[in-house]
Amino acid sequence: MAASQPFSVPLQGGLDRSSNTMELLSKPGVATRLSNFEVSNKGGYRRINGYTQFGDGTRPSSSNEIKGLQVYADGVIATSSTDIFFSQDGDSWLQINKDSVSGSGDNYSTFTGRSTLTRTSQSKGHFAIFEGDTDYGEVVITDEGSGCKPFLFKMTGTGAELSSRTFFAEEITVSGTHYPKFCVIHDKHLVVAGAATAKNTIFYSGTSDINDFTSSGSGSIVLDDQVIGLKSFRNELFIFCKNSIYKLQNINNASTVAVVPVTKNVGCVDGKTIQEFAGDLIFLAPDGFRTIAGTARIGDVELGTVSKAIQPLINEILTSSISYEFNSVVLRDKSQYRMYYSGSAESTANSKGITGTLTARGFEWTEVKGVQAPAITSGFNAAGKEKVFHGDRTGFVYNHDTGPSFNPAGTETNILAEYQSPDFDYGDFGTLKTLDHIKVSLRPEGATDATLRVRFDFDTSDKIQPLDVSLQTNDPAIFGTSTFNGGAKFGAPEAPLIRQHIQGSGHSNFFKIFSEDTNAPYTINGLYVNYRPSGRL
Amino acid sequence: MATTYLTLTNEVLRELNEVQLTSANFSSAVGIQAFVREAINRSINDIANQEPQLPFFSAAASGGTDPFYGNVTVASVAGTRWYTLKSGSSSITTDYASIDWDDFYLTTINVSGESAPFVSKGLKFLSLSDWKRYVRDSENADDAKGSDASHGEPRYVIRSPDHRKFGLSPIPDKVYNVHFYAYDVPTELSAHGDTITFPDQYASVIIARTRYYVHQFKENLQQAAFALDDYKTGMKRMKSNLINPQPKDITDDRIYF
Repeated sequence: MAASQPFSVPLQGGLDRSSNTMELLSKPGVATRLSNFEVSNKGGYRRINGYTQFGDGTRPSSSNEIKGLQVYADGVIATSSTDIFFSQDGDSWLQINKDSVSGSGDNYSTFTGRSTLTRTSQSKGHFAIFEGDTDYGEVVITDEGSGCKPFLFKMTGTGAELSSRTFFAEEITVSGTHYPKFCVIHDKHLVVAGAATAKNTIFYSGTSDINDFTSSGSGSIVLDDQVIGLKSFRNELFIFCKNSIYKLQNINNASTVAVVPVTKNVGCVDGKTIQEFAGDLIFLAPDGFRTIAGTARIGDVELGTVSKAIQPLINEILTSSISYEFNSVVLRDKSQYRMYYSGSAESTANSKGITGTLTARGFEWTEVKGVQAPAITSGFNAAGKEKVFHGDRTGFVYNHDTGPSFNPAGTETNILAEYQSPDFDYGDFGTLKTLDHIKVSLRPEGATDATLRVRFDFDTSDKIQPLDVSLQTNDPAIFGTSTFNGGAKFGAPEAPLIRQHIQGSGHSNFFKIFSEDTNAPYTINGLYVNYRPSGRL
Repeated sequence: MATTYLTLTNEVLRELNEVQLTSANFSSAVGIQAFVREAINRSINDIANQEPQLPFFSAAASGGTDPFYGNVTVASVAGTRWYTLKSGSSSITTDYASIDWDDFYLTTINVSGESAPFVSKGLKFLSLSDWKRYVRDSENADDAKGSDASHGEPRYVIRSPDHRKFGLSPIPDKVYNVHFYAYDVPTELSAHGDTITFPDQYASVIIARTRYYVHQFKENLQQAAFALDDYKTGMKRMKSNLINPQPKDITDDRIYF
């Protein structure tokens, strides 16, 4: 029998939907399917975390959709229906859209007793935080309904109980009846734009006077195109339109303030896709995800698409008959950008997302399915911890990227995770190869029960394909917290190599590793395959 | 329990590390699985071609049709020389695969109307050329007398040139029972549950021959050569065990003075 041959593949490169089957033969580390996995910043593909209910699952506004979320102070702000809420723990929600709040602030009981300041036609929310010198900063809220003025909220006091804090709330008048949709803090100014009555005008407040658009330093600029997103990046404010991108420079100098075009060929699909990420701005353009990279050379702007590998997926999204709502978030500790999209009538199970992890090789992408996130936010709370929340269309708020399972409306649900390699030809597409065994390098974070599937010759129906194989692992040893006989396993390897005998032969084959359970996440580091050349039939 | 077609096929597939079949997909197998499945029948035929008189190819149990001898019995007819070896067989493709021509037996025992003393003797095989040279003409001349033909008690058995019939010489003068041993063509395995006629201990010979074909299919000539050796060894042992198991001795019949 011919001598067995080794073939090992470190998994890297993420999802590749652009390369054809022959191109993929030379890229064995990428994935042709990578759903509910993320590219780990430790290498390999990691099954994503799930999400859990925030607190006891109490909804801020009954079953009304969560329109916007913002990490603020030691909790989160949620917009829903015609109201705005704040919660520290998810067990109770404080309505904060209050009218006639004292300029010097209300104590808790006075604040809760104020009348409601209805947020008419409230839609997808946008938030801007001006930290200033207050305990938690001031948060400005606009929404895409363009039916009301920007809302300013501030909370002071460091006591654990809300009853010990002082609350400030007011509406900001921008200009007459202009109700802008988008807001951002840029260089001591609040900048707003996108009002239904002035779609191509940006307004900026007075210097260090974010609730006054008439004071010193304030102004407005009319652009050629309609604004759909704003983002402050370093010393410039980028203004995203549907078909163009501008940047506002020198906002603090009335004589040199100017809007200059970055490009008039490319715009942004949705302002909610814009995020500052890894020293750059990333956004969804009609031709894919792009970055605006500020370089050391002042004024030099580089535009580039970073999602060529998943371009067909982007095309499917943008040409879909479903009108998707987009949202995005940055998970800083994972160097990860996530964009979620779903139709307004789409179920949680069918709601999708895309994750992009910045690695030494550039952006690497995966897909997410089963997370409905019309609102999502990440940020550092008052304790300096990064918190990530998302809300769904049934009014629930969740701790995002936490736990081993999805929990829509509090019901624990399996995470269906799929990794599929491209076909491996082991260096020679013409030779028939008989597979002997595979060693899968896993890094489990608890007991896992993934399944391995082998398919030969592009899953041809002209061949009997092998049965699935289990890749079950026990709890890994966690030194310091393991308790013998308590379910934890002393001596279990951190990254076991699971060896499984496999059967079958073909000129090429792909591997699929999948799981559908509520077990702990695991990372697939790589594959080692032992095979025997078996002629050239 | 005899080895099934599915078991044999999967044993070879396992050795090749190929995906095994199930009862559900056995009949629809494609590729290497289909090749192995077909090679099993080919191997059984090879064994039958090499040693057609292995006991498990026997057409029937010994004494099954007559308590005295043989596994096939044909009754002669007065004045008829030629008899089809396999009753009801329409062509050579459905005939017996092999006949033990050295073991024909003629008797009147159990023939209706016969009583002691009975005729009971072996028939000597006479080659066609000797038969033609020495007895055909005189027997034909006697037979041509019609009702006056004397015919006789057969002493020889002859084989027809097309191998489908045996002849008796002289042409029988009455009814005799002719007993002989016949061996069938192996029945082709078809369904997954079909069992081989071999004892399980010899299934390895089929597997060895199948491996020989499959390794050739996979262009693995070295393994094919090993498999062929295994097959030859298996055949030798099977033949030794099943065909020549009786004690071997030599009788000295010289007369001492």
